[in-house]
Amino acid sequence: MGIEVKNLIKSFDKKVILDNISFKVDDGKILSIVGFSGSGKSTVLKLISGLIEKDSGEINTSGGDIAMVFQYSALFDSLNVFDNISFALQERKDLRGKYTKKDLERIVAEKLELVGLSGIEDKYPSELSGGMQKRVSFARAIVTEPKIILYDEPTAGLDPISSTLIEDYIVRLKNETNAASIVVTHQMSTIKRTADSVLMLYNGHAVFEGSPEELLKENTPYTKQFVNASLEGPMKMN
Amino acid sequence: MVKVYYKATYTYKIFKMLQAEVNSFVSTVGNITLFGIVFFKGLLSFPTTFRTIMEQASRFGVSSLPITLSIVGMTSIIIAMQVAGEMVKQGGGNYVGMLISILMVREEGVIMAGFAIISMIGSSLASEIATMKVTEQIDAMRVLKINPVHYLFTPRIIAGTLMMPLVVIVASLFGIVGGAIASNITSGLTYKAYFDSVWFGLSMHDLNVCLLKSLAFGFTITLISCTCGMEAKEGAKGVGIATTKAVVWSFVSIVILDLIFAAIFFY
Repeated sequence: MGIEVKNLIKSFDKKVILDNISFKVDDGKILSIVGFSGSGKSTVLKLISGLIEKDSGEINTSGGDIAMVFQYSALFDSLNVFDNISFALQERKDLRGKYTKKDLERIVAEKLELVGLSGIEDKYPSELSGGMQKRVSFARAIVTEPKIILYDEPTAGLDPISSTLIEDYIVRLKNETNAASIVVTHQMSTIKRTADSVLMLYNGHAVFEGSPEELLKENTPYTKQFVNASLEGPMKMN
Repeated sequence: MVKVYYKATYTYKIFKMLQAEVNSFVSTVGNITLFGIVFFKGLLSFPTTFRTIMEQASRFGVSSLPITLSIVGMTSIIIAMQVAGEMVKQGGGNYVGMLISILMVREEGVIMAGFAIISMIGSSLASEIATMKVTEQIDAMRVLKINPVHYLFTPRIIAGTLMMPLVVIVASLFGIVGGAIASNITSGLTYKAYFDSVWFGLSMHDLNVCLLKSLAFGFTITLISCTCGMEAKEGAKGVGIATTKAVVWSFVSIVILDLIFAAIFFY
């Protein structure tokens, strides 16, 4: 089932951020949510992950863990890579004591290999580049075998080559975990390389929903403005 | 048109600022209460390890002891310098040790240690947690289904509550000994006369209240500091505001607590 969102509404201080948003993401598929800054993209992720409460509507998921990759990685800077990745396994109430030190070492090594960073267990986040931090946060996110993975602007602040690498890992993780994924992004390259479907938000409303190919082909004022990165069009920057 | 004019008046702006301050005050009091309840409820499930508590405890002791000893030691020396000579002249030399020890155990030791802990530890706790908040590390913890109050607050509050009496005992002893040396140097009061007076003046009641008060101070300072850190809003400015708030709230709270203790136990 993945994720099914129906008629989702969320306001902050009487300002409606999401107004009646509905969408569905199946297992093993990636939905890309695009739109201007402040259009409510990250709010969708925070609602699904349970970080904030919805005003109304429904969020149905297939159960299991929900993982989230944050815009600036949000690695625990006082812990090394090993402790960052194994954090949930060591500290979560229902998992604490379930894994031996050897189990943890094996699991962390597996996850690091999956994101192409073997052998950096002892390093601290401050010793890693932005792209490496992002990949460590991927490894941390998948350590509990989540059924849903949420990415908040995963390529923000990265150079084009690192961005491409991150996009490849998003697809790789989808294939490895068969999780339903949502990627919030501004970048066309991320949409083209990762997304199975696209949802465009503007002022809390869904103004486009379809495949990446349709986004590029469709000639509505919204899609045209977004694809061409134009200042002219119905979407105005606040 | 009338509405715009109304909103631009100074009275309206002052009112709105006051309203925001009151809202912030009520919200912080609410959060301190809420996090305090979550902390006590969490204790039942042993959310932290002995090792983590010891790490925090050593941080408390190592960071705060030098400054606490300096402050309390110097305070007792200053008091002895000003009072001992005068008391000896007036024939009250036998009461100098009692005066300084009671002052140290009932008041100076614990309040000065409190101020030192707030400056060294409270501010550091608040800024640490505030930085974690603004860099989304707390959100990451929540998504990983780990309660940040249990993970972050519990070891810090337990360590702070248990270390505070130790720091206070060492500081008070240091203050009493400092007072003896200063009294001897400045007014020729013998160590025997000084310490006889200390044993005569100090009671178990004083020591018990001192320990109880230091436990309460340690708990209050760490709970307030962690809560203010958790309340931090976005950016570097948010971390700064949270740290200042933690220091101010902790200072005011321990002075109010001190007043309550004095009223209950010594009035």
